[in-house]
Amino acid sequence: MNSNLSDPAFWSRFQFGFTLTYHYLFPQLTMGLAWFLVYWKWRALKTGDEKYNDAVRFWAKIFGLNFAVGVVTGIPMEFQFGTNWAGFSRYAGGVIGQTLAMEGMFAFFLESAFIGALIWGEKRLGPRYHFLAALGVALGSWLSGYFILVTNAFMQHPVGYKVEADGLLGISSLSAYLLNPWAWVEFAHNQMAALVTGSFVVTAVGAFYGLRRRHLNQSQLYLRAGTCAGLIASLLVAFPTGDQQAKMVGRHQPVTLAAMEGKFEGSSLAGVAMIGQPNIAARRLDNPIEVPGALSFLAYGTFQSYVHGLDEYPVDAWPDNIELLYYSFHLMITLGSIFILLMAYASFQSWRGRLQSNTWLLWVLMLAFPFPYIANTVGWMTAELGRQPWLAYGLFHTRDGYSKVVSNGNTIFTLIGFIGLYFVLGLLFLFLIGREIAHGPDGEAAIESRAGVITAGAQEQVA
Amino acid sequence: MIATWYAIVSLMLIIYVVLDGRNFGAGMLQGVVAKTSEERRQVIAAIGPLWSWHEVWLVAFGGTLVAVFPKLMASAFAGYYLALFLILWCLILRGVSIEVGGHINDHLWQGFWDFVFIFANFLLAILFGAAAGNLARGVPLDANGDFSMAFFTNFNVRGQVGLLDWYTVSVAIFAIVLLAAHGATYLVLKTKGPVHDRSATYARYLWIAVVPLFFAISLESWVVRPELPGAAVYNPLCWLGILIVIVATTTLISGLRTGRESRAFLASNFLLAGLLITGGAAIFPVMLYSTLSPQDSLTAYAVAANHTSLLIASIWWPIGFALATIYFVFISRRYAGKVSVKRDNQGFY
Repeated sequence: MNSNLSDPAFWSRFQFGFTLTYHYLFPQLTMGLAWFLVYWKWRALKTGDEKYNDAVRFWAKIFGLNFAVGVVTGIPMEFQFGTNWAGFSRYAGGVIGQTLAMEGMFAFFLESAFIGALIWGEKRLGPRYHFLAALGVALGSWLSGYFILVTNAFMQHPVGYKVEADGLLGISSLSAYLLNPWAWVEFAHNQMAALVTGSFVVTAVGAFYGLRRRHLNQSQLYLRAGTCAGLIASLLVAFPTGDQQAKMVGRHQPVTLAAMEGKFEGSSLAGVAMIGQPNIAARRLDNPIEVPGALSFLAYGTFQSYVHGLDEYPVDAWPDNIELLYYSFHLMITLGSIFILLMAYASFQSWRGRLQSNTWLLWVLMLAFPFPYIANTVGWMTAELGRQPWLAYGLFHTRDGYSKVVSNGNTIFTLIGFIGLYFVLGLLFLFLIGREIAHGPDGEAAIESRAGVITAGAQEQVA
Repeated sequence: MIATWYAIVSLMLIIYVVLDGRNFGAGMLQGVVAKTSEERRQVIAAIGPLWSWHEVWLVAFGGTLVAVFPKLMASAFAGYYLALFLILWCLILRGVSIEVGGHINDHLWQGFWDFVFIFANFLLAILFGAAAGNLARGVPLDANGDFSMAFFTNFNVRGQVGLLDWYTVSVAIFAIVLLAAHGATYLVLKTKGPVHDRSATYARYLWIAVVPLFFAISLESWVVRPELPGAAVYNPLCWLGILIVIVATTTLISGLRTGRESRAFLASNFLLAGLLITGGAAIFPVMLYSTLSPQDSLTAYAVAANHTSLLIASIWWPIGFALATIYFVFISRRYAGKVSVKRDNQGFY
């Protein structure tokens, strides 16, 4: 990142990065949670067991709040392509606009048509349509993820385009663009990561009720589904999706891979650093503790493979903030590894039926939910810092992409506005979510009070 | 091809204005048609779960604009920088106030969010009205197709104009009255009891107020862009728009008189659409008119994406539009009829 604070590209990047990072805190939960709702609604239809409907009603409220904040913080993202990145929109709009528009036409219409039905419509719709609404929302949210990742994949690894006579990009093959191999790998990896977030949040709420000895039936339901899905998703996010993603970077962005590892000299038997701080001036990793051969294996499939070093590339081709990129990447893989271990142990305990009585494990599961958010965020920072200094890799420089007519005064003004607005929005969101969780699912309380009424009525009859 | 795409993106924007315009209108009137807390919930329930669906039309419009008119999107969005962010922030406040206002049954909480809701809707009506005025009047485009506009300069309509001047402000006022009338007609259709009766009264007076304002705005537009009416005479789409406006107006009057609420609301939708069609057809092919020198204006032909991109978009767009229509039918059937605060309440407990 350019350290010159009067650089307009810096402020536009700051604003886009900030608003996008904040926005993505919400969709990652909706995309993960959606399939829990579909599953429980399906179980409710199959078994007629009301506890599944109670779970759906409770989580639909959490989902709805998340969705609403996701919608309102998402709209500025699309518009910032024009407001802050006019240069890039003019250059590549004919290509990336296709998927931005498709996201609206195919995903958002579907999602938002059914979200109201899912949250408020149970009484109006009946159980069958309510299930369809859950399914529609889940499909819509994943579809929107796909279109956005195709857009991002084009920026990481441009395919399906041609340069027109006026020097701007046009699309040459829609299928090549939509089926970008990078997009599929990125989509699989990202969606599994969203499922990890969803699973950890469901598990954490289950653990909270378990520890409080409230809503124990629901708690058990959340813990079982959460740990099981959490284990599967944590495994899939690492292998094969994360693994394939690393290979993709190694193949198409070798300089990025070197920067992610803080690797200055190319070598075979290249290691992954467990600990170490990149020192750009001295061109080395300080205090390194490495697993030898691991990087060669991860990136190219054999321990002997040669991994390129940063020294082989001119400095202006390097990602412009190697330190942040390095830490983002390492934080992501460390957290990912911990998720697998934690969820494997929790699933095992859940399978043995001992999870609800294991107090310390419940504490860990309850407190673990922020970490998938961090892992998702640093994962995206790895992707986006690693793409620098390009907006479209190898085609278009970041420094050419920002809006030349927008002054720093305007960008900083709107950035301050977003920081203030999003801070308040965050407080509001936490307050309301906390309130919903403190209130808990309605089912058991409702059943108890209904039982009370019946008893009272029976007593009257007797009298 | 390019003219068709101009029509399509205009259609998407018109659908957005018609759909979300009812929410802006109902929102602006919430403070006067609803007196009690329950009545205010009734207004929110009428907007209910569909506001985000309506907002998607704006998102889909923005995305399609990038795909088919990338150079326009780049120039206009960067040029309207501050105004656009104000719109985005108001949309955030509007959405949040609908979603969270009903969460807590407390008069301080609801009073605060009702205030935010009304405030955001007023500002949105003003901003969209001013935006429409800007489209008609033009912006200070330079020879590179770029512009950067202050909120206001000298309130004049030529030269280095600002976002607000005497013309755009009067269009904004027209937008407030028009959208409020539209929203009132919607509330008449969707509500019962005192809110219904008050909305009916407001609808009548607001539609009457629309008439002189409409003629004033038409006259002003003629002063600001004297060359437009001459060209519009030869444009059949302008005549179609005017025809729609006339038919819709008579239907609206008869619908309001005889208490046929859905007919009145339908007519109100078409009235808005007719006005926008007339305007959109009149300014074509210019998408951004330059107030500095008209030859620097950006036409649809100059800002369109290349032929292949347009062709590809023509393949998937109709499919997406057909799907959206199906969802629309589903939604209209499911949410037809008057709202009831008990059944459609989005208060959680």
